[in-house]
Amino acid sequence: MNYSLKKSGLQTFLKTLTKKFQVIVPALNDSGIATFQEFEGQEIYLGNERLSSPKKFFRPSKEKIFSFSSKGASASVKPVFDKTKRLIFGIRPCDTHALNALDELFIRYYGDDQFYSARRKNTLLIALQCTEACENGFCQSLGTSQAVGADLVLIERGNEFFVRPETERGKSLLGKKLFRQTSDAEPSPKISCNLSLETQNIAGNLYKNFKSPVWKQEAERCLSCTSCTQVCPTCYCYITDDEFEFGSSTESSRFRFLDSCQLLRFTKVAGNHVFRESRAARLRQFVLHKLSYYFENHGIQLCVGCGRCISVCPTKISLVEIANKIQKQALEAGK
Amino acid sequence: MITPEKPELAEILEVKQETHDTKTFTARFVDEKRQKKFFFVPGKFMMVTVFGFGEIPISISSSPYKTGSMDFTVVNVGNVTNAMHSLKKGDKLGLRGPFGNGFPMQKFRKKNILFVSGGCGIAPLRSAIYAAREKKGEFGRTELMFGCKSPENILFNKEIRKWGEQGISVHKTVDKPSPKWSGNIGVVTSLFKNSKLPPENTVVLLCGPPTMIHFALIELRKKGFKDNQMFASLERMMQCGVGYCSHCNIGNKYACIDGPIFNAADLKELPVREE
Repeated sequence: MNYSLKKSGLQTFLKTLTKKFQVIVPALNDSGIATFQEFEGQEIYLGNERLSSPKKFFRPSKEKIFSFSSKGASASVKPVFDKTKRLIFGIRPCDTHALNALDELFIRYYGDDQFYSARRKNTLLIALQCTEACENGFCQSLGTSQAVGADLVLIERGNEFFVRPETERGKSLLGKKLFRQTSDAEPSPKISCNLSLETQNIAGNLYKNFKSPVWKQEAERCLSCTSCTQVCPTCYCYITDDEFEFGSSTESSRFRFLDSCQLLRFTKVAGNHVFRESRAARLRQFVLHKLSYYFENHGIQLCVGCGRCISVCPTKISLVEIANKIQKQALEAGK
Repeated sequence: MITPEKPELAEILEVKQETHDTKTFTARFVDEKRQKKFFFVPGKFMMVTVFGFGEIPISISSSPYKTGSMDFTVVNVGNVTNAMHSLKKGDKLGLRGPFGNGFPMQKFRKKNILFVSGGCGIAPLRSAIYAAREKKGEFGRTELMFGCKSPENILFNKEIRKWGEQGISVHKTVDKPSPKWSGNIGVVTSLFKNSKLPPENTVVLLCGPPTMIHFALIELRKKGFKDNQMFASLERMMQCGVGYCSHCNIGNKYACIDGPIFNAADLKELPVREE
């Protein structure tokens, strides 16, 4: 059974949820940029600008994972888990696919990354289906335009939301006062992405063209500013570092920091040898990790077609353009 | 449940100054049961934590048959190694592992082994050399080609002399000789002419700086070694050891879970040198 929720009831709905959860919503910040922030009654942003993803609630840029104590003989190592009961409202379909891709590595593949899975288990997702195309999205090329793994899926329809519960957990959120049962057919907004990615054999073709001149041409204007990896909803690479607790030489903590493959230090080893010294090599690493390596290891693309890396690039480097150029060469050569 | 990133406490049993910038640390898990269950194959590495300073990958340099403890041979080159060098007997470390694939020693039975090493690349090879010595009858003849910056940088001098007495043919070379040095001068590939091992029935184990491995493989191919006979240990930046952090990514492989030992035939397919 599906439901409907009046848009005017959204604030009340979210307010009741704050009793049980830390509620996260998209809202405009002081600079007029939509970000995911804690709900305190502010106006919910339902618009089209989606530069920020809720990645920080699953892979924060800085995350404490252990605390160490070495007082005398009683040295100890304690893991630190974020078990905050959280609810994210307004996550877009591409970002639900981003979480699905990360689940593959951090939950299903090698073993359980408990710092990640603690956050995943304790977070509910209310997805908001897109009703119009965003600036540089190409989710339709990658099949990520419908939400996956959300607890509720909401679709805007005039002055209300059409609500499709996906899990029991999601169903339990639906209060009788605000939600009305409906037997209406699910609205299917017609949208057409602004960009399109040629995906035929893309993982193999990009890797086979490792030495294509395209990488160097495109990387010539790359600034290694790391904007692309910061906004990417799936960029998860991290470094770890220890810090002493303030004023203590026996208590310290281990942190994870999100890292960026666009930086020289990413591949620097003892003796200052750097494996990816050129910008072309680093840009290629970003594109191949997104569209080739991850797919070959996990059978799922790490790129979800949100197009944020394109929107944010100060020199207008486009992952879609690079991939399509190489695809064109590869597909023509294969004919 | 296991938290793959949780270090376990270990105690330093001994610290040995090898050269002016290199020390060998002998350590064991504080938990005796953990130490009893601990075994490894030469070429595998541990993630070593110096609490408050960070964690780095270090290969185990001791014999896999020496149970009860393990050795790490560490050059003082970075923040964590610098902090590690200040540790003394009785101090605590954090350990995780062993990680990586290690050298496939089983496959080397009845074969001659040529060890090619540059600088502190001798550390994981030392483990393999001890393994080969322990089961002497199972392997053929062994040779070690060892290149270092200068005579003062040559690690394990005493042990190497002993290995020589025990039948391992040892050849050393340095880039910058001291006035006393009477041995070979030049890069490690300049020693290959001394090898008496027939390429047909010999495997090569390499560990050293990336440039050394690159040129050593080229020269060994010229001598008639086939790619499937050569195994190189690759160095990469690592933060996790379990395929999460992606720093050791080479093509669609990870040095921490698919390596760090790669067969030269596999290396040909991977973008090891990314221009």
